[in-house]
Amino acid sequence: MAHTTSESAVQAATGSQPPELVRHGSAKGGWFRRTGFSHLVGILALAFSIFPILFVVSASLNPVGTLSSSTLLPREVSLANYQTLFDGSFPRWFLNSLIIASLAAGISMLISACAAYSFSRFRFRGRRTGLMSLLLVQMFPQFLAIVAIYLIFAEITELWPAVGFNTSAGLILLYLGGALGVNTWLMKGFFDTIPKDLDESAKMDGATHFQVFSGIILPLVAPILAITGLLGFIGAINEFLIAIIFLREDESKTAAVGLYGLIADPLTKNANFGEFSAGAVILAVPTVALFMYLQRYIVGGLTAGAVKG
Amino acid sequence: MAEVVLDKVNKQYENGFHAVKDLDIEIADGEFIVLVGPSGCGKSTALRMIAGLEDITSGTLTIGDRVVNTLASRDRDIAMVFQSYALYPHMSVADNIAYGLKLRRMDKSEIETRVKRAADMLELGPLLDRKPKQLSGGQRQRVAMGRAIVREPQVFLMDEPLSNLDAKLRVQMRAEIAQVQRDLETTTIYVTHDQTEAMTMGDRVALMKAGVLQQLGAPQHLYDHPDNIFVAGFIGSPPMNMALGRVERSDGGITVSLGGATVQVPASVTAARPALASYAGREIAVGIRSEDMEDASLARDAASRARLTTSVALTEALGSEIVVHFPVDAPRVVTEDTKALEEDAHTGDAPVSHHGNIWVASFSPRSRVRHGDQVEIAIDQERLHFFDPETGLAIRD
Repeated sequence: MAHTTSESAVQAATGSQPPELVRHGSAKGGWFRRTGFSHLVGILALAFSIFPILFVVSASLNPVGTLSSSTLLPREVSLANYQTLFDGSFPRWFLNSLIIASLAAGISMLISACAAYSFSRFRFRGRRTGLMSLLLVQMFPQFLAIVAIYLIFAEITELWPAVGFNTSAGLILLYLGGALGVNTWLMKGFFDTIPKDLDESAKMDGATHFQVFSGIILPLVAPILAITGLLGFIGAINEFLIAIIFLREDESKTAAVGLYGLIADPLTKNANFGEFSAGAVILAVPTVALFMYLQRYIVGGLTAGAVKG
Repeated sequence: MAEVVLDKVNKQYENGFHAVKDLDIEIADGEFIVLVGPSGCGKSTALRMIAGLEDITSGTLTIGDRVVNTLASRDRDIAMVFQSYALYPHMSVADNIAYGLKLRRMDKSEIETRVKRAADMLELGPLLDRKPKQLSGGQRQRVAMGRAIVREPQVFLMDEPLSNLDAKLRVQMRAEIAQVQRDLETTTIYVTHDQTEAMTMGDRVALMKAGVLQQLGAPQHLYDHPDNIFVAGFIGSPPMNMALGRVERSDGGITVSLGGATVQVPASVTAARPALASYAGREIAVGIRSEDMEDASLARDAASRARLTTSVALTEALGSEIVVHFPVDAPRVVTEDTKALEEDAHTGDAPVSHHGNIWVASFSPRSRVRHGDQVEIAIDQERLHFFDPETGLAIRD
């Protein structure tokens, strides 16, 4: 908008001169303000975000494998770090991470969607209270309750070891609880934008509540499902604080916990940095892949054409 | 196909708002009935109760031979067309139309034939693969119709289906819907706030105000014999002209003085309205439709007609007629009804004059009157309407 107005103003000021020439005349100052500035900011942001990625990728390819020998651009390239990583426990950790993150993200997405549908569509006693308590509860980070959670799970481990410490199931359960509040709020807001006429119309067509939910609403809220799923996945696969308390056995560790183990020891931390970096690079792959896959669902305007407009 | 009977149906919300009061309507099998009234009169609530989207507070609702008060919408065997169309945006036109049939686990081939039949009827054939957002307003409206008729339900419910269309399309779809209904002979309940739709589409019209049914009857009956001032003012465009007059008894029968003019009420009118005589010496609300007035120089049997002499405030030449606005020196009628009508007019786009009492007459296009002219207007006394200014009710017997 600003572009066109400034251009037409210049045109008006210079009278009959052809616009091509005018643009050349005011090129330097005008160009920077119009385009150059945003490019500069873009380049700065890019440099800022690429630097750590580049450093980690370089470190992972560095055959010496120490922190002190790592540079921004690798002097020598080899896959030795990846080799050693895969010879150790990493494949197991990676698998654990994938399972925990996918299940936690998937299940929390479904449960939150059900909760959000009820909060958005039904009017029942305790609806406001429910919404408010969800909001309150999710304001406190889960880590605040870590002592309580630890004690609860210590008890659970004795009674039902299958969902206790050192199990993926236990950790998934914990992650589900943490994500539910914020996801439900996020989704409820989106559900509210789907016209209620659609529900009613489907009901007249003969749909049950579940059919309305699964056949009409869910396809229309795909963007928010994709976003909550993605956020849930990233949150779970990167989660470290709770996981390290929960998962003490080597077999049950997630990649984040396991990789930390590589550099936790002050004596070995310099030496294992190459391996650690290789693990970090591999761990980023599923997140990036998931994002690329979900990108197509994260588009607005899905309800266009439903009602007037 | 079935008849629908509302028996003392009430809707009272939890906050105490009484949206529909003791609504009694018997709708015959195959009838097209229009619920009309200003916004907030309860017509949509009534329709939503029939649809099963709102609970019925008290009274009974019967569709066919079943009392359906507590039945879920999907078990009532009805279809509804929404004001917003409510098409499923992620489905193609064909899937939109077929959705109700799929939910009923109908045979695939049967679904196909039915969708095709509905599409042919509504000329949707070439659009079946499109998504709703690729359709124009009129096309979306047709898809919404298609979705309703494909189910072959017992009753169609339509909630202001044309109000999102532009004026020209509205006229066209009005005719199409009426045609489809006539072909299918399905009982139809149609809600609108537009009295033109009510007049042109319905077999019968039910006019509501503030949750109460005002009058139920054939459109022409409501137009010619309104039960009260509200009906008189709501039905018809332009609305009926009203003024306060005084009834006097004279040798020849009864006269009504309107400002400076005195109108002799013909014997046939007094005979049809025996109660009129009892108003002698009292004020009365007099109404006359615009087409029952004519330029006195053009009116046939003008000599026998009552006359008003006034100056023309505004003329609108429509080609087929000239609409003449002129002031009348008789006071305006102010009752609950006229206030409600005025409020409704304000929410719409009709201008409301606050300067005295302006009447509107439709003259023959041959009339030469123009803005500012002095004009003699002949009134057809046979077509006068009389209402009690206190109760607003029509004076009959």
